[in-house]
Amino acid sequence: MAPPPARMSTKTATKMTTKTGTDTQWSTGFNTVRRQKLFSNPPTDHTAYPMLAAAIEPHVHSFNAIFEPNGLLEKGLKDIGTKVFLDGDPRADPADAPQRNALSVRIREVILQKPQIPPSNKFNVRHREILPSECRERHSSYRGKLTARLEYKVNNGPWKEAPREIGQMPIMLRSNRCHLQNMSPAELVLHKEESEELGGYFIMNGNEKLIRMLVVGRRNFPMAIIRPSFVNRGNTYTKFGIQIRSVRPDQTSQTNVLHYLNDGNVMFRFSWRKNEYLVPVIMILKALAQTNDKEIFEGIVAQAGTKGLDQKQFAIDRVEVLLRTYKAYNLHGKANTRRYLGQRFKVVLQAPENMSDEDAGTEFLRKIVLPHLGSHNVSVNEDLDKFKLLLFMIRKLYALAAGDCAVDNPDAVSNHEILLGGFLYGMILKENLEDWVNSIRMQILEWGRMNNWPLFTSPQFEKDFITQIMRRTNENIGNKLEYFLSTGNLVSSSGLDLQQVSGYTVVAEKINFFRFISHFRMVHRGSFFAQLKTTTVRKLLPESWGFLCPVHTPDGSPCGLLNHLSHQCKIATHNVDVTKIPQLVTQLGVKSSSLAMVSDSVTVQLDGRVLGFCTPKQALTIHDTLRYWKVEGGHDVPLELEIGYIPNSNGGQYPGVYMFSQAARMYRPVKYLPLGKLDYVGPFEQPFMSISVTEPEIVSGESTHVEFDPTHILSIVANQTPFSDFNQSPRNMYQCQMGKQTMGTPGTATRYRTDNKSYRLQTGQTPIVRSSLYNDYGLDNFPQGTNVVVAVISYTGYDMDDAMIINKSVHERGFGHGTIYKTMKIDLAEATRGRSSKNVTKLFGFAPKGLAKAEWKKAVDDDGLPMVGQRIEKDTVIAVSHTVTLDPLTGQYVNRDGETDVHKYKDEEVAYVEEVRLIGSEDGNMPLQAISIKFRIPRAPVIGDKFSSRHGQKGVCSQKWPAIDMPFTESGMQPDVIINPHAFPSRMTIGMFVESLAGKSGALHGMAQDSTPFKFDEKDTAVDYFGHQLKKAGYNYYGNEPMYSGITGEELAADIYIGLVYYQRLRHMVNDKYQVRTTGHNNRLTGQPIKGRKKGGGIRVGEMERDALIAHGTAFLLQDRLMNCSDYTKAWICKSCGSFLATLPLPVGFGKKRSGQEQRNARCRRCATKALGWEPMGDIWEDGTGERFVGGDNVAVVAVPGVLKYLDVELAAMGIKMKFKVEP
Amino acid sequence: MSGQGYAPPTRDLSTLNYEKPVTYSCGDCASKVQLKRGDPIRCLQCGHRVLYKERTTRMVQFEAR
Repeated sequence: MAPPPARMSTKTATKMTTKTGTDTQWSTGFNTVRRQKLFSNPPTDHTAYPMLAAAIEPHVHSFNAIFEPNGLLEKGLKDIGTKVFLDGDPRADPADAPQRNALSVRIREVILQKPQIPPSNKFNVRHREILPSECRERHSSYRGKLTARLEYKVNNGPWKEAPREIGQMPIMLRSNRCHLQNMSPAELVLHKEESEELGGYFIMNGNEKLIRMLVVGRRNFPMAIIRPSFVNRGNTYTKFGIQIRSVRPDQTSQTNVLHYLNDGNVMFRFSWRKNEYLVPVIMILKALAQTNDKEIFEGIVAQAGTKGLDQKQFAIDRVEVLLRTYKAYNLHGKANTRRYLGQRFKVVLQAPENMSDEDAGTEFLRKIVLPHLGSHNVSVNEDLDKFKLLLFMIRKLYALAAGDCAVDNPDAVSNHEILLGGFLYGMILKENLEDWVNSIRMQILEWGRMNNWPLFTSPQFEKDFITQIMRRTNENIGNKLEYFLSTGNLVSSSGLDLQQVSGYTVVAEKINFFRFISHFRMVHRGSFFAQLKTTTVRKLLPESWGFLCPVHTPDGSPCGLLNHLSHQCKIATHNVDVTKIPQLVTQLGVKSSSLAMVSDSVTVQLDGRVLGFCTPKQALTIHDTLRYWKVEGGHDVPLELEIGYIPNSNGGQYPGVYMFSQAARMYRPVKYLPLGKLDYVGPFEQPFMSISVTEPEIVSGESTHVEFDPTHILSIVANQTPFSDFNQSPRNMYQCQMGKQTMGTPGTATRYRTDNKSYRLQTGQTPIVRSSLYNDYGLDNFPQGTNVVVAVISYTGYDMDDAMIINKSVHERGFGHGTIYKTMKIDLAEATRGRSSKNVTKLFGFAPKGLAKAEWKKAVDDDGLPMVGQRIEKDTVIAVSHTVTLDPLTGQYVNRDGETDVHKYKDEEVAYVEEVRLIGSEDGNMPLQAISIKFRIPRAPVIGDKFSSRHGQKGVCSQKWPAIDMPFTESGMQPDVIINPHAFPSRMTIGMFVESLAGKSGALHGMAQDSTPFKFDEKDTAVDYFGHQLKKAGYNYYGNEPMYSGITGEELAADIYIGLVYYQRLRHMVNDKYQVRTTGHNNRLTGQPIKGRKKGGGIRVGEMERDALIAHGTAFLLQDRLMNCSDYTKAWICKSCGSFLATLPLPVGFGKKRSGQEQRNARCRRCATKALGWEPMGDIWEDGTGERFVGGDNVAVVAVPGVLKYLDVELAAMGIKMKFKVEP
Repeated sequence: MSGQGYAPPTRDLSTLNYEKPVTYSCGDCASKVQLKRGDPIRCLQCGHRVLYKERTTRMVQFEAR
């Protein structure tokens, strides 16, 4: 039987591209020589794995967009504009105050330098750049100097420039502000990076941090929403609304909402600096353009006398109400309305005091009303665009209220876009810059108050502006960005139109490469939705097809909220050029006015700008024509343009043609059938397109597109599950989880990394069975497991319940042998951080003339640092230091107390000192204050360690079985691993069986097997394909083999399924988990054992465990667990009054009774009476203060839980008495 | 060990030479750097700010199981 053609091509694919240069085409094969060559000679031109670099591109490109020419920051500075401040006492009576001078301030430019050592460091001769590797090693942050060119003028004088240093800004690796930006793999290796260093993250205090991608609403598209909570907004409010997330050119956004009121009125809602405001929509319409009621009516409904008007009575009635109620404001004309708005919003907008009301109104419209249609120097036409879009929104709102159109699903990917890390970072930077400029106002007031209100024209102002006013503002903007990155908390005055304040950044853990790369492909729905009780947001919707991976999401609390992008899904980071589109659309017959009915005319929009209206038939033609042009590449229609054609329907989504060209959109490649060429499809247009998954599925006349490959829907990690189409779907989800918890190879530059904890598999192999994308993503650079011979057999009895047995010899050969590296930083300056930190108060080393114990010197060298290679146990001293003071005479640091402080290794486990790094200061003039020690902890597999195949089949090693006792096949093979057959029936991981078959035949024939899903079908089955290969190699077609018992030598009654499976060792190891306690620390208050593995605590025997023990009738065990091993205490109790609290022990010398009676050395103070003097001497006792008593001797010792006494005390404090009846 | 009176010095103080320089290797140019107690941490050749401690020359012996 012939193999499918797709697999044939993989064998012949080691072809070189015609261009000289590193080949970037990969096959499924092992490519051993080629890989070896790439490893020993990293390419000097470009990476051999471009798909890997493309996977993180959205991160890097979005960061690049901030600082590039005409980038986000430049646009943001335009939006900030010029701030004007006035001099003089603001509280003075305006009548007698002189004309106030105006100071205008603006930021001309913001420059970010690449990371460099400060000029104060005079010692570096070779190069002054700070490379990322140095930041990792020094546990510092990778950041560059941020400078702002501030300009200011007084009244109409000339602009004066003042460059201001505004802190150190963290820089994304491999971005256009990073030294690594254009480095080839060879250069990267020279600079202590991975050869495939991808960048896309920041380095904060030596940790790698990234801003994760966040799902936000689609920009510039008026969405119909129904929210029952809208009703609570006020009287007559209804659940209907139209919401638009309007995005400015600098990527900041402003959400505008139209509310539908019961009487037909419409309110415009927005939120500004975390406060919400409502404005009648007509007021905004009238402020935007010089218009009249007729025009508004015609814009919302249609021209009088046109077709279909008689069927729009619903809208006509409401527009009438809308216009009539607005009459109450008695505002006429554009200027008047703007003045009215300006008067109300002047203070809110922080507009300059000398701005006229009308200008403030204009400013209001610029900043808040649909800013995507014009937010800088807004022209009349742009205001008209806003006017038209508002009319459209009202139209859609009425359609929604009338039930003519459906709501847009806010949880569907079609209405989403991705907020990229770089964009968010740029937004925060812009906001901080604006806040900084605004904060000048406070400082000017302060300065004026202190100096008796001098004028801006005075020479004192000229002298003081920089030194007194600017210096006092918080100029350290870099610090705020650092805070954001290291905590993930957003401190913002406006809230940035986002729904959460924390959780924006995560550490890019490099446990293994799957984990690492997944961080960059991860999109989060937002922590707001995590608290939601409903599960609707978590659902996998068909709209996600090809954009979000259906498999790769964690199970548990973040399920469905934390998704991963499909591996071919791209995210636009720049707007594409669409200047020709309006013209083309006009040529295709779009008119500016609309008819009443949606069945007669639908809208055509580009990025939320109404281009006009046309008939539904024309809309289809426009869509088809533009799509043909965009794929063809002519007529200036960009390929990345998204043309969402929503056809007319009966109460479905509001129809029209909506085009999107801007950044933050997802898009993915598919094949356009009419031209057979690549087309990009976005999530908005996709639901209304016919894209067939495979070639045979194409329906003539209906399908317009076909997928390049069905695996495009899967994420990078999900694609690596072999034969995932054979598995039950949850198993593939589990594998996506476990793939990210595998001990693998985090990278090759481990020598230069200082991760807090890092796992490494010593004996990683390339899998025999791998998908075709394995090599494309260069995963052989990061092996994550071992190929092992697996027999599915119940053999030893130690393999029940997902346990697995490892052949002892395989263990000895190094299967799954791993290492943990832990880094510990000892910072002497840290303890004294609170005070002035520049002074050195401690030094490493033994105190001169002090005591140095031999025990301390076991692992510590003469310099006070640990010796590299030394074996370290718990409480071994690994470094010593002493306090010093600077002797001003000699300039030497002298120790005065002769005492040596020791730093100990605290972990339980034995470790070896792998590396010791001496961390110098940035200035290069400080003595040793910090060291970084890397420990190596060897972790050979032990019983209890967790392993997993790539099919969600995890298990725990239960025995290392001697090789001589293992069963063997006729050819003498022994399994490396034995798993129980019961692992399969309920889990249905047939993919694992197929992998076993494929692995076996691959090993026998010496070739890599392609395990890409969706390659086989019912006619051409996988079993048949690999079975024939096995047959050719002389093995059983079905993968079964007769086996013989290793103990008796007898043949086993059944043939055993045996083959090769790639096994991963997971990072969960017993050595990190085992918890055992006999005695140890107890809680000081209750006397009960403490909890926590680290502190040697116990595991709680809780209520349910107690119930079980009671049910079993194991009273003695119960007594032992809950009393004897817990807070067992002996306490004195008074039998007469039944109190614990009244008994008190007698001082020494009292209470000795006559022989024969038991010894009692406590009395009940409550039952005792004061001794009068004539009682028998033996009955009198004395308390601690010397007072004498008689009686109260009816006391006994009882064993009670310690908490009982505590409870008694607590209750007594509340005035509640506890009385115990003691018998006999 | 606290408050138990006189504890004899465990080692002859004269063998401890605190001012004896220790050799490190530079994290950038890999040249050998000799530093004494209190010296600023930087490579004398290139001014790099990370130094590595070299593997000990003392015998490292332990039971390898």
